Amino acid sequence: MNGRFFIIALHEGGRVREETWRLVSFARRCGVADPVMMVLSDEGAIEQLADELAHRTGLDVAGLAGSHLREYSAEAYIRTLVPFFRDAPEEAHIVTAHTSRGIDFAPQLSAGIDACCITAVEDVGQGTFIRSVHHGRFRAEVRADRPRVVLTVLPEAFAPDDVAPGNPGKVRIVPAGDISLSTCSRGARAPVHANMGLTRAEVIVSAGRGLGSGENIRLVTMLSSLFPKSALGATRAVCDQGWLDYSHQIGSTGNTVSPRLYLACGISGAIQHLAGMRDSGMIVAVNTDPCAAIFRVAHYGIVEDLTTFIPLLVDRYLRGE
Amino acid sequence: MKILVCIKEVYDSPETLVFDESAGRVTFGPHTVFRMNRYDEYALEEALRIRERLSSAVVDAISVGSPRVSRIIRRALEMGANHGIHVQTPGETCLSAFERAHLIASAARGRGYDLVLAGVMAEDDMESQVGPLLAAVLEYGCATGVIFEEISADGGRVAVEREVEGGSRECLTLALPCVLTIQSGINTPRYPALSHVLRARSSELECIEASGLAAPPPTQGLVRILPPAQGRQGEVIEGAAVEKADKLIRILREHSLLPR
Repeated sequence: MNGRFFIIALHEGGRVREETWRLVSFARRCGVADPVMMVLSDEGAIEQLADELAHRTGLDVAGLAGSHLREYSAEAYIRTLVPFFRDAPEEAHIVTAHTSRGIDFAPQLSAGIDACCITAVEDVGQGTFIRSVHHGRFRAEVRADRPRVVLTVLPEAFAPDDVAPGNPGKVRIVPAGDISLSTCSRGARAPVHANMGLTRAEVIVSAGRGLGSGENIRLVTMLSSLFPKSALGATRAVCDQGWLDYSHQIGSTGNTVSPRLYLACGISGAIQHLAGMRDSGMIVAVNTDPCAAIFRVAHYGIVEDLTTFIPLLVDRYLRGE
Repeated sequence: MKILVCIKEVYDSPETLVFDESAGRVTFGPHTVFRMNRYDEYALEEALRIRERLSSAVVDAISVGSPRVSRIIRRALEMGANHGIHVQTPGETCLSAFERAHLIASAARGRGYDLVLAGVMAEDDMESQVGPLLAAVLEYGCATGVIFEEISADGGRVAVEREVEGGSRECLTLALPCVLTIQSGINTPRYPALSHVLRARSSELECIEASGLAAPPPTQGLVRILPPAQGRQGEVIEGAAVEKADKLIRILREHSLLPR
């Protein structure tokens, strides 16, 4: 990669978020050994965050500080970052994590500095970037046609790399002024649908849209009753349909689970869902579509229609086969 | 209050896509069925609910694409939108979010929209960019992944909750005009009422040729479509359905996941 390479670290509660260390791996994958780490916060918190970055990565850090950055908002980030990068060398890659915040500010940042924006990047080609499309069935190789490129990178596609090779990097704190914002942040609310039953379960039988109807939820209920310490999971789509309530949702905006067994029934395997269950001990997927992305994370795959296969499976088990 | 809802046409199921690996291309197979992007349905429904709360509101629906796209715009009218705008491109389109956002911005500019809603992403290319890029071009504020919204009594501000990792919510208030990208599950999209279906049948869509709208050169190009990454080399359990069931039971027992 030519030009400068910047990693914008996201943070919460005074600590750098774990995805950040994965972005360092991404930089190495791009052949960049010395990206500049960046972090944005208010004067009270910036030094601690910048020091954490400098110590854990050994890389140089630019900390942008201003009272408008006390709480996250896309507007605060954009109005700080756009002037910063307008003054930086034109050829630059600016990278952040593909999380709810990264994707909130990255496109607007790109528009402000006439950059190309590529989201959910999961691999690198020959000067190109690769991302999943069409429900994870294919990947698109994308070429940037601007000298400045803003990327949001899928954290789970890269391993964390936070072992500092030697001395901590240099820290530079840059005052970003105190910008008056039209957005007013009002803090955060705890998850409405956290489900301890799901996080404790040894076996999760999980329902996807492939189940076909809300009535067929009884099939996954029946299947899960075979397992002691089991719980019912679901994709977001199933909860949106009202087939199960949101406390069952597994994925990036729902529960994150890692049971001993994850039995995915009629789940296509969208990246948002995989983010919540890919660390499960054993993944078994049942789906009618042999090309479904779920089969590429599954230990065992079965191509069958659930409406006939689940009753058959339960029957064979109860007969002692 | 004037509300614009951005809607996109997507295929109903990715199973009807045809992949030509040597050409690095995906095309729509002959049995492809098209419909409105589900996330955009939630955005449209939210706009209609705002109109029900604020009696003077007007809801326009806009989409960019081939002549076929007019069908989902008509669907938006059937659901209750007041007016449909079609930014028409010749033939099948493969536009980036950047190009779509600029075309929509060109069509929307000067029409005085107070609020622009879009789905949080498109189901097909999952870029999550049209909404925020449109906001940047129009110089509107923006919040993404919105799961709750409430417009102030004076119509000057909107309080929103964004859904973030693990189902937590970030609460913020934005000044209007602004763009909100709507997360699924915020509401339950309605089925068209007969009266709206009849009205939609006689409504004219406003058709704008994309070639006549100002848009900067694209920021990116699609090099090619690749097969998916290899992933885990899992075992596909083969055989008749009964054999598959028995084999799965055996595997689960061997791993002490099912009682004997």
